[in-house]
Amino acid sequence: MSVATISILVILLLFVFFLMGLEIGFSMALAGFIGFAAIVNVNAALNLVAKDVYAVLSSYGFTVIPMFVLMGQLGASGGVARNLYDSAYKFIGHIPGGLAIGTVAAATAFKAICGSSPATAATFATIAVPEMDRYGYDRRLSCGTVTTVGTLGILIPPSVVLIIYGVLTETSIGRLFLAGIIPGLLVAFSFAATLLGWSILNPKLGPKGEKSTWKERFASLPPVIWVLVIFFLVVGGLMQGFFTPTEAGSVGTFAVLLLTLAKKDMDLKRFVKAVSDTLRIGCMVLMLLAGATILGHFFAVTRTPFLVASWLESLHVDRNIIIFIIIGVYLVGGSFIEDLAFLILATPIFLPVVLKLGYDPVWFGIIISVVTMIGVILPPMAINAFVVSGVTKEPISTVYKGIYPFIVGMSICLLILVFFPQISLWLPNLFMK
Amino acid sequence: MVKTLSSIVRVLSRVMYSIAGLALTAMMLLTVADVILRTFKRPIVGTYEIVGLLGAVAMGFAIPQTSRVHGHVLMDFLTTKLPIALQKVFLVLTRLLGIAIFFIIAWNLWVLGSDYVRTGETTLTLEFPLYPAAYGIAICCFIECVVLFIELLEVGKQETET
Repeated sequence: MSVATISILVILLLFVFFLMGLEIGFSMALAGFIGFAAIVNVNAALNLVAKDVYAVLSSYGFTVIPMFVLMGQLGASGGVARNLYDSAYKFIGHIPGGLAIGTVAAATAFKAICGSSPATAATFATIAVPEMDRYGYDRRLSCGTVTTVGTLGILIPPSVVLIIYGVLTETSIGRLFLAGIIPGLLVAFSFAATLLGWSILNPKLGPKGEKSTWKERFASLPPVIWVLVIFFLVVGGLMQGFFTPTEAGSVGTFAVLLLTLAKKDMDLKRFVKAVSDTLRIGCMVLMLLAGATILGHFFAVTRTPFLVASWLESLHVDRNIIIFIIIGVYLVGGSFIEDLAFLILATPIFLPVVLKLGYDPVWFGIIISVVTMIGVILPPMAINAFVVSGVTKEPISTVYKGIYPFIVGMSICLLILVFFPQISLWLPNLFMK
Repeated sequence: MVKTLSSIVRVLSRVMYSIAGLALTAMMLLTVADVILRTFKRPIVGTYEIVGLLGAVAMGFAIPQTSRVHGHVLMDFLTTKLPIALQKVFLVLTRLLGIAIFFIIAWNLWVLGSDYVRTGETTLTLEFPLYPAAYGIAICCFIECVVLFIELLEVGKQETET
């Protein structure tokens, strides 16, 4: 059997495993093992599996993942999100759709310390939806908002998706973090604009809330300031090269722990829960990465990424079209498999193509993150929507109806970011030459 | 018999998970301490190596419990639409495949651990031996096999009940 035939068979086998319902990380490990055994030999494959699993688990570079997940889980279990929401609400609650726009603002700030998307969706579903109910907001709008704002953390540092992209492609996590800031704010702005437009067109959906005095507004600011301090400590320290990514995550986690302790929002029970959730999420991600590493070694001996790159190059089409094809593959693949798992699976294959086309890997990381943001809320496989539906007891179809308007805005942002790479690359080029 | 096995595995998975949690907390505290002491020109020597090993313990030891709470992502949009009988067939097959890959991983990690014992391989600065982490993760992968085996037995149990 030729190498190409084996490659195709292994990819088919991988999808058979996926479809049968074998865990995605396990599927990649098993398919990679079988392929490697077929091309090289069984002993080498046995050796490879153990070495790869051990290397992924014990690598210092990968410890950054559980650290930033822990930072987010601590932030989510403490009352930080509620404080931020209270503050945003006091500033903009009185405009049309103001409580929903306040949710966007609070979530944008909250994302500066919490990278987890479903955790944010769940947190804000608990805090903001009851508040919007009180003012008679339409459930489509309120549920759609909390589902969508969770995705901001995929782009706004310290994003776990950007970290995973960074370790996967050996791209500087500091540069990726800086690159995510402006696009993240751009997408947040598109959410606010969508909500404002939607509420002005149909005022019944998002009635105005109470107007607060300036005194109340300023009194609500200290938690916002603390969050910004932690954010600048983490991103600034990383940017200046003072911290490794793991150190930045540890320091940020410790700072969030101190903040929640000082606000009496943290106790041993909550801390244990945050650690336990972190282990589960981190272990899931690491298993995906271990599986992808084994599969990646198989692809490396078959030179599959190289073949994909030269095939796409031989098409002689505009490089933007190739980028859109890749984006399409991520959206379709992500909606069938699982967005993060697909990112881990596909990025090592597509990155050589992107580099060969002359694009910046940092820029590609941002594009893939925006695609992932759309992916995690795009029906029919929208994890965030399931979480919000679970918390609010609202049927999933209602949540979906509230998501569509945001997807339009996000798609426009995606186009802008594809055609104007400088929006993403300006900050990293300015601060990290 | 199945009950005893499943309660043994439950306890073992939780013990491993607790060790993992302690390792994660230690990773954070050690790193923070190192960063603080470093500003006073007193860095903790070998932090880098220890954090890597603690990371291996934190993530590796969490494998069985993560599996028990169905924390590993999988694709279920197809299987959930199938008739129950076929779902069970797939569940049996995927559990067997899972056992196979984890058995391979566990066995070869054990071999790797034994290699580390024989060659006396250690971390660079602290010369901390590498084999305990390799053995530990190997044991957790064996436990994972049993976790999946119990899921397999539970499929059979459901069948006899219906």
